[in-house]
Amino acid sequence: MHNLTARSLKLPYRLLVFSFVLLAMILAGGKQASAADKAQVEKVIAEATAAREKANSIDGEWRDTAKFIKQAKAAMAAGDYKKALSLATKAKHQGELGYAQAAAQKGKILVPSYLQRK
Amino acid sequence: MKTKKLFYSLVIVSAVVIAYFFVDGTFMTSSASEDYKADIEHYQSYFKEKFPNIKPQDFANGSYALNKAMYENWVAIEEFPPYEIFIEAGKGMWKKPFANGKKYSDCFPKGPGVDHLYPHWDREQGKVMTLPLAINQCRESNGEKAFGYKKGPIVNLLAYMAYESRGKVRNVVVPDDDPRAMKAYLSGKEFYFKRRGQLNFACAHCHFSNAGRDLRADVLSTAMGQTTGWPVYRAKWNTAGTLHRRYTGCNKQVRAKPFKAQGEEYRNLEYFHTSLSNGLKLNGPSARK
Repeated sequence: MHNLTARSLKLPYRLLVFSFVLLAMILAGGKQASAADKAQVEKVIAEATAAREKANSIDGEWRDTAKFIKQAKAAMAAGDYKKALSLATKAKHQGELGYAQAAAQKGKILVPSYLQRK
Repeated sequence: MKTKKLFYSLVIVSAVVIAYFFVDGTFMTSSASEDYKADIEHYQSYFKEKFPNIKPQDFANGSYALNKAMYENWVAIEEFPPYEIFIEAGKGMWKKPFANGKKYSDCFPKGPGVDHLYPHWDREQGKVMTLPLAINQCRESNGEKAFGYKKGPIVNLLAYMAYESRGKVRNVVVPDDDPRAMKAYLSGKEFYFKRRGQLNFACAHCHFSNAGRDLRADVLSTAMGQTTGWPVYRAKWNTAGTLHRRYTGCNKQVRAKPFKAQGEEYRNLEYFHTSLSNGLKLNGPSARK
């Protein structure tokens, strides 16, 4: 009986220690992930800003690109890295597409075929 | 022998030059001036053929020329024009002297009814001169602060000047003897046909090929006649605004970043865009949805 009681008392202590260790690991991991997320968001925001500026240099910037970058920065400041990353990625793609769109037409007067003078 | 060689050389050089121009697609027997006139005639013919039942002058009524019910509504609105107060305010501004005692009439000696003379190529400044820009240059040269270019006091003065210009005929000229003028015209033309923004639309997509078609509750207007009635009182704005304010809105609608009102891009655009209404009588200010 005595042995059984000692064993049954040891189990909760072991569980408690295990839980503490687990919690510490999760917290440490979370902190590391946050730092990584922030760095990733900062990188994409910088890329988005560069892409927007490049598009603007040939008059190809789209309406909402700067707004998305601003919103991404605000989301990052609020600690919402997921939202910030999503906005910055969208802005980066817009910058790249805006540049490609303007570059493809630069210096060309693209009168549609049905309007061309014969 | 020498003469023969020279003759053959000349023939070869001429053939190469002619071939170059043909291949390049820019071979033209006409001058630059005749070329832009041919542009205008060609584009206006497009609309005349697309809408054979519309009289040319009626294109100045915008989309109201294309839809009978909308036209009737518009005529009813014009009985008590919402832009009247802007004309009155502008008339007062025209008469009021600047702090230095001079007036607008010192800058515009022909009087307020000069809307039909704009935009024009300003040889001295080497740029397209629009009426709003001329107004602000007049103000600044007389020690007054420049107006904003989209709404506010400038619209009053423009409304009065447009009203005094009613019935005068639009005639944008691209002078033949200054290549910079043709460059500005072509820059405006490039803008008009350039796809931009997230929607990848050019001005021409709405106002050439799709003109007359429904866009939600609206009818898309024709490029011809779009610039005869400015400034415009728009129900959407709940006030009157300038042509460059509308350009800004158009660019935003296709989700492109707009340009600065009265900046080079929009002035060049206005130069080309307004030339499409050559021959039409002015009917500004006007009312739109």
